[in-house]
This record gives sequence, C-alpha cells and structure tokens, in this order.
Amino acid sequence: MRALLNWWRRDRAERNLEAEFQFHLDRETEQWIARGLDPGAARERAIRSFGPMDKHKADAREARGISWVDELLQDIKYGVRTLAKNPGYAVLAILTLGLGIGANTAIFSVINGVLLKPLPYEHGDRLVVVRQSAPLSGQSTLGVAIAEYFDYREQAQVFDGLVEYHQMNFDLLNRGEPDRVSTGVVSANFFDLLGIKPIIGRTFVASDDVVGAEAVLILSHTYWRTKFGGDPSIIGQVFEMNDRPHRVIGVLPNVPHYPQENDVYMPVLACPFRAAAERTIPRNRRAFGGLSVFGRVKEGHTHEEAAAAISTINQRFTADHAGVYRTASSGFQATTVDVRSALTEGARELLLILLGITSLVLLIACANVANLTLARMLGRDRELALRAALGAGRGRLIRQLLTESTLLATAGGIVGIAFAMATIGMLTTFVSRFTARTGEVTVDLPVLGFTLLVSVVTGVLFGTLPALGTRVNLTTALKQGSNQAGDGSGRRRLQGALIVAQVAVSVVLLVGAGLLLASFYRLQQVDAGYRSDGVLSAQVYGNFSRYGNIDALRRLYLPILDRLEGQPGVVSAAITNAVPLAGSAPGTTRFDIDGRVTDDPDRRPTTDLRVASETYFDTIGIPVVSGRAFAALDSAESLPVAVINRSMTRYWDGTDPVGTRISLNRGETWLTVVGVVGDVRQFGLAQETVAQIYVPLAQSPNNFAGQVLVRTAGTPSGFAQVLRDTVHAVDPNQPVENIQTLDDLRAEALAAPRLTATLLSVFAGLALLVTLAGIGGVIATSVTQRTREFGVRMALGASRGAVMAMVLRQGLTLVAIGLAVGIVAAAAGGRVLSAYLYQTTPRDPLIVGVVAVTFLGAAALACLAPARRATTVDPLIALRTE
Amino acid sequence: MSTRPLDLLQGTLDLLILRTLALQPMHGWGISQRIQQMSDDVLRVNQGSLYPALQRLETAGWIESEWGASENNRQAKFYRLTRTGQKQLKAESDSWARMTEAVGKVLRGSEGF
Repeated sequence: MRALLNWWRRDRAERNLEAEFQFHLDRETEQWIARGLDPGAARERAIRSFGPMDKHKADAREARGISWVDELLQDIKYGVRTLAKNPGYAVLAILTLGLGIGANTAIFSVINGVLLKPLPYEHGDRLVVVRQSAPLSGQSTLGVAIAEYFDYREQAQVFDGLVEYHQMNFDLLNRGEPDRVSTGVVSANFFDLLGIKPIIGRTFVASDDVVGAEAVLILSHTYWRTKFGGDPSIIGQVFEMNDRPHRVIGVLPNVPHYPQENDVYMPVLACPFRAAAERTIPRNRRAFGGLSVFGRVKEGHTHEEAAAAISTINQRFTADHAGVYRTASSGFQATTVDVRSALTEGARELLLILLGITSLVLLIACANVANLTLARMLGRDRELALRAALGAGRGRLIRQLLTESTLLATAGGIVGIAFAMATIGMLTTFVSRFTARTGEVTVDLPVLGFTLLVSVVTGVLFGTLPALGTRVNLTTALKQGSNQAGDGSGRRRLQGALIVAQVAVSVVLLVGAGLLLASFYRLQQVDAGYRSDGVLSAQVYGNFSRYGNIDALRRLYLPILDRLEGQPGVVSAAITNAVPLAGSAPGTTRFDIDGRVTDDPDRRPTTDLRVASETYFDTIGIPVVSGRAFAALDSAESLPVAVINRSMTRYWDGTDPVGTRISLNRGETWLTVVGVVGDVRQFGLAQETVAQIYVPLAQSPNNFAGQVLVRTAGTPSGFAQVLRDTVHAVDPNQPVENIQTLDDLRAEALAAPRLTATLLSVFAGLALLVTLAGIGGVIATSVTQRTREFGVRMALGASRGAVMAMVLRQGLTLVAIGLAVGIVAAAAGGRVLSAYLYQTTPRDPLIVGVVAVTFLGAAALACLAPARRATTVDPLIALRTE
Repeated sequence: MSTRPLDLLQGTLDLLILRTLALQPMHGWGISQRIQQMSDDVLRVNQGSLYPALQRLETAGWIESEWGASENNRQAKFYRLTRTGQKQLKAESDSWARMTEAVGKVLRGSEGF
C-alpha cells in the first residue's frame, strides 16, 4: 500500500527534492557571500561543494525504492512487447481463451438473469405461488378453482394478500379491426401486491371488481408502444371487447410479466367465463379450476409457515367436501412454492449442465494455452537465463510470465464479452423454451465482474503451470547455443499430463454430445402416428358471445369446412379441438365400459377426449385399425358414436371394443364404439401415447376451441391466405390465428432437443479441435527437441518407418491414456443428461466406441505431420548441429 | 595528523545524521553545516550525497519530514528523529563505539611492534 502511495506521489517527491536542493544551494551561496565572495563566485562554490546533482537525484530515487507498481508497469510493457513480437502465439491464445471465456460469460449472463437476479417486484423474495396436486391420480399440478381460492384468501393469515390470475385470449376491436389480445385476468389488488405502479393512469381498485362496475383495461407497456405508439392520451379511450365497451385506465411500466406476458389486463369479474363459472360453484366446487394463485408472505413470516397455512386450509376444505376431492384415492393436497423457483425450475438443471460444459471447455482452453506457453518457453530459455544472469530473481521471472498470461487472458476476456454479446440473443431464445424468465438477461455489471474474475483466474491457472517449470539452469542455458536449456524432461512430462487431461475432458464432452445427437436422431425417427406433410392448421376460436354453445359453433364450422373442400387444391378439411404436438396436455375424462362399471368412481380409467369432424382421420392420416371412422350418417339425431385409439383398447382385456358401449357421464348417456384408430403422439414425440376417445363434431355435447386442418395437394404454407379468406367469407369478424403447417409444429416440438444437441456438439467440437491442435503442437516441439536423437537412430540403421512409428506412438499413448480416463469419467457423469435422452442410455457403448475411434484417428492425423518431419531428418546435419 | 578533511565511511553518514537530528529537527543544509561544525571541519560531507541518505533513512522509518519556515523565513524541509530512529541511533552508536574501541585496540597493540 505504501509502495502504491509512493508511486502515486513520485512526481511530488521529485519536485520536493528539487526544492530542497534549491534551498540548500541558496543558503550555501548566502553563506559564502557573507564570507566576502561576490555572488557569482559564491554560487559557483556552492554548486561545486554540492556535487553532481543528477547522481544525487538518482541515488535518492533509488533510496525511495522502486515500487512494485513500477515493476508491474515494467512487466506489462515488457509483456506487451514480447507478445507483439510473437503475434501468431498471441492471437491463437487470445482466440482460444476468448471462446472459452465467452461461452462462460454467455451462459453466466443467462444464469444471472434467470436464476440469480431477484424478481423485479417489490418484496419479490416473499412472493409465493399456491401449488395443488393430486399425486395418487398422477396429477403433479392442478389449477386452483374459484371456491378454493376464496377459502385460501379468507382463511390464510400469513399473507399480505392472495391474488388470482388466469390468461384468456379475447378480441379487442380497435376501430373495427379485431385484434386478438392475450389478457391477464387478475384480482383488483394484483398490481399493488407486486408493487407495480402504472407509468400513466392508475391500476385496478376494489370498486373496479364488483358486479355492475364499468369494464376497465390496463395496457402492457409493449402493447401500448406497438399498437398505440406510446400515445399518452390512450387513458380514457374506449374499446369494444366481448361485446362490451372497455375503458383504458392505465399503462404498466416496462417490467417483465410473470407468469406470462400479456397485452392487456382486466379485473376478474370482467372475464365472462370466470364470471359464468362462479355462478356454478354451488353445483360444482371445482368450477374454473385453472387459476394461478399468488401470495405475498407477511413480513416476519417464513415460507414454511405460508406452505403450512395453505396445506392446513386445503386439508380443511377437502375434509368438508370429501365427495368432491376423495383425498384417499387422489392424494389431493396443496403447498406453496416461491415464485422465483417456480418460474425457473424447468431451466435450472439445464443451465447448470451448460455452465458445467462451458467450464470444461474453458479448462481445455487453459490447458491448451498452457501447453502453447510451455512450447514457447523452450525458445525463451535463453532470454530468461540472460535476465536471471542480469539479476532478476526467480520470483521476478515467474511474475513476468504470470503478467504475460494475465494480459492474454484479459484480452481473451474482451474477445469473450464480444462473443457473449453476439450469442446471447440466440441463447435466450433457446432457454425461453424452458422458462418464462428470460426477459432480464443482459450483459450487465455482475456479468462483466464474472468475466473479469474468470479472466484473471484463467490467466493465473495457465500461467502458473509453465512458470513452475522455469527452473532455469543458468550455466547450461547460456553455454549451449541451442534450445536445450532448462529442465526439458520435467516440462515434457507436464505437457504430457496436460494433453491427457485435455483428451479426457474432450472425450466427456464428445460422449455427451454423441448421446444427445443419438437421442435426437431417434426422436426424429419416431413415428408419431399421423402424416404431418401437406397439412395446414389454424386456430379458429369462435367468439363466445356469438358462438356461445355447440349448435352455434357448428353453424360456424360446418360452412367453413364445406367451402374449404370446394377450394381447388384442397384434398380434405377437418375440425378438431387440438392438433398433435401443439403443446397441450392430455385430458383426464373418466369413463365406464358398459357391463364393466367400476364401483369406486375414482378407480374408473381416464381418457383424453377429442372432437373430430367426419374427415379428420383422413385429413391427418390416422389409420383406422378396425371398424370405421366417422361418416355423414353420424348426425345429431342418430345413435351417439365414438372412435377410440389403440391404447384405449387395453381396457377391453383383449375383447373387441367395436360394438360395445361406453359412458363419459356415469351412465347418463352411452356412446357406441364404432371403430379403433392408430395411436398418435399427441402431446410430445417422447411421450407414451395415452388412451384417447374421439366424438363426432355433429354429436359433440360441449363447445370447444376449434382447430381447422386442411390437407392440400401443393405446399400447404401457400394456402394460408385462402384459408383466411374462406373463414372470413363465412364470418368477416372471425379471427384466424396461428396458421402453421403440421410439419412446422413437429419441427417446433424437436427444436429444444435439437438445440441442446447442437449446442453441446458445438462445444464438444471446439474442445476436440483445440485438443487436436494441442497434441499436434506438443508432438511437433518434441520432434524438434529430439532431432539429434532421430539423426543418431537413423545413422545407426533405424528405418524411416520405425522413427515415424516412434513419434506416432508417443502421441497416441497420451491420447489412449486420456481416452481411458475420459470414458470412465463420461460413464460416471453421463447420468446428468438422462433427463434429456430419448431411448438412449448414458453408457451407450456404440457412442463411446465411435468417440474413441474418431479421437484416435483424428489424433493420429494431428501427429502425422510432425512424425513425417521426424523422418526427413538428415543424420549428418542432425549430428552436426550442436 | 593531516588537516585534510576525511572521507566518510559507508554507513557512517547515516549515524551522523541520526545523531545530529537527535539534538533538534533540522533541514538538509543545517545538517551538513552542523556535521562540519561538530567535527571541527574534520568530517566534510559531500553536501549533495546527504539527500539520498536522508531519503533512505526516511524510507526506513527512522526519520520523518515536514515542510516549515526556515531561520530566514523560507520554506524548507525539516527532518525529525522518530521513535524507531532513536532506538536505531542507540544501537548504532553502541556498535560504533565497540568497533572503534576494537579497532583502536588493534592499532594500539600494533604500535608495540
């Protein structure tokens, strides 16, 4: 510290010294004048007796001591100069480190934004979400019903408040144009509880959420900016929505929305579905069981207390309504989860795996640069020895090397930040498939701090190893004119160890990448049970105010189908309630088979209920296994029928289900099974198929959200406008959304595994390249060092082939050791990937084998060039050098 | 004995400076004058070389310095002995005394030949 202070003050010290000298000379001159000399002579006399001024100054400077700051600056200057003299080495090292540091920076910025940052809300750490589940009937999460929410809200004491949330899509008429908006339907105190203040206008108050209140809306910041250009006069404007005028009362600040981004928000009673459902509570306690319920734990209370309170209330109401909940067989229960972990639990493990992988890549980069540095030091031995001879201590030399490596690492860090900035968007899109919380991912101060730390640690890490190898033997280094100075064998051992480590880590990464690729390939080959090619799908959700029941919906859908089938290029058209792989979850409708009625209603099997128009199975290419598909004769008046999938036939214990009857409502009405169709991977390519039942559109008892499917003769994507026009010809105000081909939907379902596999493959490929370059480099330097030995061997009769084999053996031995270590490590570590693997075991011997063979082959190639060089040694020349 | 001024032994200058400053705080020129006076002009300090020595003693923490007004009211840098400087002076005086005594003994003994 004192040294730093002195260094800081060195200019002042110099000035002080000069002032002192001046004072001294003046006093001395005065004295000689007083003794009778004239001023000129007196001055001369004074200067003479003072002695050489510059020497005194230099001595004084030295007496103050050269501070470590000066030394450091000197080291840095010297380091920059040496690196500049060797640009190839510097660029290679900086790029290698830049990639390693950049990958870590990018992953860390995502981890920081998703896992580490507190929620952007006031008291975000005290926010919890109520989680209900029924583990015994296999339901890991069950939405909260209105009546249940009321119980929690009224009875829980440990919360500042409990609020409800659900999302709906409504048509907002903006000057006649229908705009489908995602709408957050929330309690009046929702924004107060989160501590969100509007940037203009106000948020909801209790009087907005009473029966008969004026319908009001709050706009999200993004929606306000994109649709209304950020116009502040938006407050007070009225928009038609659900056939009612809605007045805009406020605009939210630009904060990320959780659990979902929404365009607008409305209070709960303004949502017609929610309001209608609330009236049915006396008949159906589980009415509208799709709410999310958030709470803010009171100051001074713990999350455990909150969870216990919710659990207690849950036990109380399940006991009061035992007939509804049947806790014994369903295991229905409730607890709380803190919002931050609830939002990120899907991404946490993946992100940590990615961080682990990028750390390994960085380690390889470090090892490689350490190896490069070691190789370079062979050429620097004379320089180092000379500096040692001129009085630099071993510590000083090591410090010089560390300074150089830290310089490189810092430059690598800068490259890394650029790399991170360039890739962060891609990475965020990828991670958004696993968590809603990606809105806060940026390269900010904590991220830069992380990068700096990583750079410095990296510099020390790869700088220390070569520096430890500097046990310079002065006399030999200076005497021998060649490159044989120093402790060559120790350094070679170090290089060998580094190569083994690099190979081992690369093998782990390659095996991981291989597993994910194999898994992805198998997933891609899965027969999903339908033909996705040539089919276009679109959401045509009938607006409930005009199509409030199934009869009205049929009046919308049937003409659409008629018109579509009349279009040129259309092979067939169909309506259903959910297309495969569109991200829905299976339904759990319980059913009874005629003659096999189960006594305990909770033991009844469940099935996923689908609505299908007559041509659905043809359109989507689902084969009929036995019986028949739907036909025109299945009308509202005819015998109620159903088609089941092959998975569902297991409940018939091997007998033919066709012709038997099933009931979905405890025997009130019966459906005759007329056919069995093939299974479809409706909910994910990797998911086992579930029992499914289809009812014809003409007989569907309930209204549903319609999906139109069109099989076209040409490319389906070109058909989007025809589809839109056809729907609008039936109803000009009917929105047509999410027009996608089934091929796109399937590709979308494969996107996450494909990206995961690609990402790991890129990292593993990088690791492989870097490692191969390292092996090649080490063998090359070793060949150079052993030139004389090869010369002697060949002079004594060794064949070129034998010399070449010797060099190759040296390289491949290291690779083989690394492979062995890596394969053991991969077998131990592969388990972390098992959640991401489809029909692939983490120890797949084929993949391990392919990796091993590839690695050996590539390493042999990397050693080949230096090995050939060894055979070109001319014995005479080799013996004459030195 | 010759009246030619004696050159100072290495390290002796430090001792003389410490001794001089033990009397009172003083600036550089004053120190050089005082050393000459006290030694009756026998010891002549190469005046400029005083300053690196002062710097060395200050870095060692034996003296400290402060700018102040000189006897003719000009700004001068005054040096003062620190507590560790006092201890150092005592230690060095003792060892100096022991050494001169030893050297003296040797020289006296050699006169006997």
